[in-house]
Amino acid sequence: MENLYKPFKVKIAKIEKHSSKVKLFRLEKDDLFKKNKNKLVFEPGQFILVSHFGYGEAPFGIASSPYQDSFIEIVVRRVGTLTKSLHKLKSGDEIFMRGPYGNGFPLDFMSGKDVVMVTGGCGIPPIAALIEYIVSNKNKFGRVYLIYGAKIPDDLLMRDNLKRWGKDIKILLTVDKPDKNWKGYKGMVSELIDEIKIDAKDAVVAMCGPGPMMEALEKILRPLGISDRRIFVNMERKMQCGIGKCQHCVTGDKYVCQDGPVFNFDEIDKNWD
Amino acid sequence: MNLVIEKKQIKNWLDELKKENIVIDSKKSVLPIKQHFFPPKENLFIFNKKTKKLKSPDYKKEIIIICHHLGQLEAMTQLDEIMEKPNPDFFYWQRREKSTLIGLIDESFEVAPGGDLILEKINSKQYKVLILTDKGKKIIKNKFFKEVDKPEVKNYLGEENPFKEMLLDPELLANAVKWSKDHKIWDELAGKCLGCGICTYVCPLCHCFSINDRVTLDDRECIRCRQWDACTLSEFAKIAGNHNFHKTIKERYYNWFYHKFVRAYQEYGKAQCVACGNCKRNCPAGINIGDVLKEIVEDYKKYGKLI
Repeated sequence: MENLYKPFKVKIAKIEKHSSKVKLFRLEKDDLFKKNKNKLVFEPGQFILVSHFGYGEAPFGIASSPYQDSFIEIVVRRVGTLTKSLHKLKSGDEIFMRGPYGNGFPLDFMSGKDVVMVTGGCGIPPIAALIEYIVSNKNKFGRVYLIYGAKIPDDLLMRDNLKRWGKDIKILLTVDKPDKNWKGYKGMVSELIDEIKIDAKDAVVAMCGPGPMMEALEKILRPLGISDRRIFVNMERKMQCGIGKCQHCVTGDKYVCQDGPVFNFDEIDKNWD
Repeated sequence: MNLVIEKKQIKNWLDELKKENIVIDSKKSVLPIKQHFFPPKENLFIFNKKTKKLKSPDYKKEIIIICHHLGQLEAMTQLDEIMEKPNPDFFYWQRREKSTLIGLIDESFEVAPGGDLILEKINSKQYKVLILTDKGKKIIKNKFFKEVDKPEVKNYLGEENPFKEMLLDPELLANAVKWSKDHKIWDELAGKCLGCGICTYVCPLCHCFSINDRVTLDDRECIRCRQWDACTLSEFAKIAGNHNFHKTIKERYYNWFYHKFVRAYQEYGKAQCVACGNCKRNCPAGINIGDVLKEIVEDYKKYGKLI
């Protein structure tokens, strides 16, 4: 019987500082990550469980391109025991991981449609993987937008990637507290609607919350005329086992680790928790 | 022909088994049988910091467990299913596969709920043998059992348990608990419940756990352990950065019921409860889960369909 709790070793190939509290880690594996029949290493939206023995294990959304089989990238905000310990590591150090887990965004459903992605601060990783997929398959998608919000400009992550993606998709940045150099928007404001030219009946939304999710929904997505059924949300919960046993990640009738992390907004909107 | 064992021979048979096996009487612990396959605390992995090697403890011990209630056997059948689907739990099965469950049952029944072998009381002096698996077959090949043509068979009624009757309609329970979210009973229970988690520890089916790392005092090894958790505890849904997805005891208590009667029904077609009454007997706040369920179901029948 396969031991599904057993993690495997990966090498930290690169660490980038993305803000005062956030670092990106590139994790490499000697014999490469396995590709599925669509030549993807994982489905955009999926997560992995990262271990640093002695400090614990926690879920992280994958931020790199799903076509990249030599490494996986995660974005780590220094917030608890495990993330503090990860921030102390150096390039070349070894840690463990297992996964990828979960379902990912519905790529087939999204194909051929206009796409609006909405996320905030640290919610960028699963959206980043989706953008990488979209820019690698440009002809499969219509008009593509990313609305990325944060409290302050420093909290906007993956800025080099944003520049690169900007050639293929329209990126709208917004912060709650701009500094004097800020050129983007202030807050999740309804003026953003004027920038988004989509066919609402044939558009799909991908979000990673909770951050700006509800505000974006009220001020932008609903006024644009996008129905809840076309909105897909990547959820976060406490997680321990990753395989549908431990009960930590439940939301209503669903397990985030097995049924999600991507849910149709309709499915989770009425959950009591 | 019926295979029977004399009541007075049972002890001798068990003594014989004890010579070559570890035999555990479930009566001796307040904790349910799950503790032998899913221990309150167990090491999953040991990571050596120097060699960077990862190993798992290899579990070799074979055990025989004596169960005295049909509910204990039923719970084990259910827990096996939970630990098998949707993904098999390696550490549970590592122990479970090396165990044999014997039911020693003083009430008459029609359908065997589980276990490897059941001895069912048929009269004041004899027990009838019911072999359910090959493991059960192995341990009765000895002089203590004999074939009897037409043994005297009496009917022994089990204790009356209205709570158990309720479990026969898991769909109704699922609908009622789902409906009851805004019922005043959850506020009342939030006032009573101490959030200690005892109900989940003594439940033969509760299987929440958390996984934590610790480091040995000599700093040579990191040990990843799994331990029982309880969804009623305040930290259960709390993540780093202190956000808590189930902040109040009311939400957590409701989630406990929601799992047992709603999610379990959706996943396995039955409630994760065998009406054993362990939770009621051990609750320091005196909460009677059967009564709670009864009130919800009654109100659901009265008002639920109106909405």
